[in-house]
Order: sequence, then structure tokens, then C-alpha cells
Amino acid sequence: MKILDLGLTRYREALKVQEDLLHKRIAGLEDDCLIVTEHRAVVTFGRLTGENNVLDKRYFEDRCVDFEYTSRGGNVTYHSPGQVLLYPIVDLEDKKKDVSFYIDFLEKTVSNSLNVLGVSAERGERRGVWVGGKKIAFTGVGFKKWVTYHGVSVNINNDIDAFLKINPCGEKDILVTSAKEVLGKELDMARVKNIFIEQFIKDFKEEYKRQDFIYGAKASRVIRK
Amino acid sequence: MELRLPELSENNDDVVITKWHFGENDFIKEGEDLVEVTTDKATFDIPAPCGGKIKKIYKSEGDSIKVNEILAEIN
Repeated sequence: MKILDLGLTRYREALKVQEDLLHKRIAGLEDDCLIVTEHRAVVTFGRLTGENNVLDKRYFEDRCVDFEYTSRGGNVTYHSPGQVLLYPIVDLEDKKKDVSFYIDFLEKTVSNSLNVLGVSAERGERRGVWVGGKKIAFTGVGFKKWVTYHGVSVNINNDIDAFLKINPCGEKDILVTSAKEVLGKELDMARVKNIFIEQFIKDFKEEYKRQDFIYGAKASRVIRK
Repeated sequence: MELRLPELSENNDDVVITKWHFGENDFIKEGEDLVEVTTDKATFDIPAPCGGKIKKIYKSEGDSIKVNEILAEIN
């Protein structure tokens, strides 16, 4: 698994990196990769978005926050520095080809990472990762030829007031939190990213272990049209 | 050749057509993305199973679709 920490990026800049790796992965020219980044303040819309889920557009305009319409699943969300973004570019062609299973895996690995950080996170009945009834992580993914892109965002030290100005994920009246709010202190982002990366690698191996055992590493390099 | 919606998940999630990359009478190459479908949290591009002319598109953007329902026909 290749790891690529892009640091602080604009959304489009990171998207370009994702798309480049996605196409190379499909062509068999790259290994699986986990992109880690933080975004400059941006509101992103998934495919199932209505602009009516932005409750206070002026709030974002006054702060020069970009609006980006994306090809990921899900609805509207907000990104800003201090939030960890995980964008896995992984090939599931020869693994368990199941969209829900993959999203379950993403939520599990985020929940496990947060637990390591001392945040009692869990998966709820609704999508995402939750802490005491408040949402802390947001999923929205895409697939091309069973290679994944887009991913999950996790609130760590970031400003969460902006979530009051949208219906996060299109859901009304949900409360949002961050690791900083839960723990009452800022976390070291380098340490946080390392924990997410290590947990992702470990959980990916375990969750997709049976398929790896059956097909082996060779299958991940199959070139497909 | 008929293109039908493959199974994307054992959960039988609701699937909606969100974007046709090609239209009727367009020519498409095998493996090119023909249509994007979306579940609650995921988009999924479905490639053309063969090259040729798109004879008929059976579903519109915004329509729901079930596994194995026909999406398009390619000559």
C-alpha cells in the first residue's frame, strides 16, 4: 500500500491527484494507495445533493469558501484545515466486490482509529461515524471498474460551527462534533494521520484477508480495459 | 448486447441513475464508462461490455433501477 500525504490542499488539487492515481490503478500502473490530506475551507456536494441543504450561503460567501460539485456519492459536507481526509485508491476487482461492505470497512477503520485516539466512536444505524449521538466522520465514495476513489472525512481539530450552516449529508437536525470537542484539547495532526494510516493498512488487510489469501498479490496487478 | 445493472452490494441498496456519459446513437468503445449509478453514499461507473452503437437507453437520469434490470442496448 502506497501512502501519499498531500498536506494542506485545495479540493480540486487533491481531486486531480486522486483521478490520476485512479486511472493508473485501473491500468495496472500503480499499486493500491491511501491519500491523506486536509483541505482549505470548501463545501462539497455529492451526487445526491440539493442546494437547499446549504442553509446559509452568505456565511460561506463572506468567508470566501469554495463550492465544489463532485462525483462522489452522498450529499453536502464541509471541509477545513484540521479535518483528516482519507482517499483510498484501492482495487477491489479481485476482492469482495460490494459497495456497502467497502463503506462499512471505511467506517470501521475510522471508528477504530478514533478509539486509539481516546474518542469513543461507533458506527450508528445511519451512515457515518458517531460519538454520543453526534456525527464525527462522513463518507462519500466513488468506483470505477471496482477501483475506489473519494473516501471519508473526520473532524479532528477543525471548526465545526460551519456544519450548522448546512444539513450535513442532507440530514436535518443532526449534531456534529470533533475529536477536539470530545477530548477538550487539540490533537497533534501528524500523530493523528499516522494512527489513521496504520489502522487503515491493518484493517484493510483483515477485512479483505480471505480474498487476498485466495487471489494473492499477483491479481492486484491485472491490467483491465 | 444488453447491459443490465450488476449487483453492487448484497444489501440491495436503492440505486439511482445519475449520469449517462453517452446518448442513443453514440458510438462507444468496450470498457468506456457508459452510465453512472448512485447508492446512498457511493457512485459507480458502469462500463460498456462491448464496443458499438448505443441502440437504446432504457432509463433516464433520476430513475431508480434494480439489479439485473436493463440499462441499455448496444449493437
